[in-house]
Amino acid sequence: MKRLLDQHAEQILQEYRDNLPEFEKQAHEIYQIFQETFERIGLIVAGLEYRVKKEDSLAGKLELKGAKYKSLADITDIIGVRVITYYSEDVDKVASAVDRLFVIDWENSVDKRKLLEIDTFGYMSLHYICSKKDFPFRFEVQMRTILQHAWANMNHDTGYKSGVEIPKHYMRSMNRLAGMLELIDEEFSHIRVELADYRRRVQALVASGNLDDAPLDGETYRSYLNLNPFRRLNKTIAAINQAEIQEVSLLPYLEVFKNLGFVTLGDIDRLIKNYSEAAFQLSSYQISLTDLDIISSSLGPQNLCIVYIIMNGGGTAGLRKLFDTLNGPNESNEMMAQYILDQASELPFMNEKKK
Amino acid sequence: MEVFIEKENNVTTARFVGRLDTPASQEVSQSIEPILNDPTGTIVLDCKEMSYISSSGLRIFLTIRKAAAAKGGNVIVKDINNDIRQVFMMTGFLNLFEIQ
Repeated sequence: MKRLLDQHAEQILQEYRDNLPEFEKQAHEIYQIFQETFERIGLIVAGLEYRVKKEDSLAGKLELKGAKYKSLADITDIIGVRVITYYSEDVDKVASAVDRLFVIDWENSVDKRKLLEIDTFGYMSLHYICSKKDFPFRFEVQMRTILQHAWANMNHDTGYKSGVEIPKHYMRSMNRLAGMLELIDEEFSHIRVELADYRRRVQALVASGNLDDAPLDGETYRSYLNLNPFRRLNKTIAAINQAEIQEVSLLPYLEVFKNLGFVTLGDIDRLIKNYSEAAFQLSSYQISLTDLDIISSSLGPQNLCIVYIIMNGGGTAGLRKLFDTLNGPNESNEMMAQYILDQASELPFMNEKKK
Repeated sequence: MEVFIEKENNVTTARFVGRLDTPASQEVSQSIEPILNDPTGTIVLDCKEMSYISSSGLRIFLTIRKAAAAKGGNVIVKDINNDIRQVFMMTGFLNLFEIQ
């Protein structure tokens, strides 16, 4: 688009062109600083993006209000970085990080969250104007939650800055949505705090050994796995052939344990205490006459479940369900179930059961 | 043991023919290098013509699984015979792979 720029604006534009490679280099560096910082502090963000203002966009800005700027250094958003967080409190966490990483020009920075009156709802975002030691130009960092981001984008796309006057009922709807999203943001934060609290309580239960008080769910099971409850059995099995143990995720067994009707961690603990000997017998029968010298850490829980099912009368149907859960339904699971049942009939634990 | 590797679109298929025992494993380790160099997309380990697998063979499958996991790839073990399926079960490997 052809812009009508005066000589002053043209000078600023030329200054921009001269410095463009440096802007691009610095923008990428700033982006990397954010990336490394988030990784270091363990902050998971929904988005991190940066851009260097396009020449046409700058020309448009200069055409509108070029006289306001003495030089390119007065324009603070040539480089723009946007951090989109999942939670509203993470916006403040990012803001603190920005404060530590860069020099903030407080006079020109805006917390749009605080600008809104108590009875109004709308654009909520934190904008910091920053600078860094090795670069003479300032840059802008925008921080907002993913819901604020969605709202801002929708609002932008549907008319803002388009020059067309927005009907009042539309504005009202958008602002009503902004209020709703603010509520949702708050609710997400509450849930996160409560979940963190639940995790701490579960960890305390697991650590104290009160496993019957810990309901079996994803959180409790993860904490329980940190205690390596199947390690002893796996080591005993591995010793049969001096096998190496390949560590794998045992999370798929959560569903298996639930299918077995377990409701607390105490149920898994009893499974290990009462069925490890039988699980060992099964492994010993299966691998002692082979040269297999590698097992996965899921062998212990797998065989515990197998012997539990057999000893509690689950038969081939129970075993097939176990394999269906672990490997997906497959015709061969029936064959495997029968094969294991035949093997188990030879083992001491089955004879003890008969007595 | 022979390994035939084909790549079509986003699917790499390695067809294993013969016994994947300890002596064969060294050669197979070299044969699968193209997969390890680009372990993206779906990797199908076609075992229809594989008659036997040893611990060394399991380690090779595990290496492919690890490489794929690191690059977001997905490994499918296809058409294993009952003897090999039992080896997978006896070693706890059964639920490490998607077995078809």
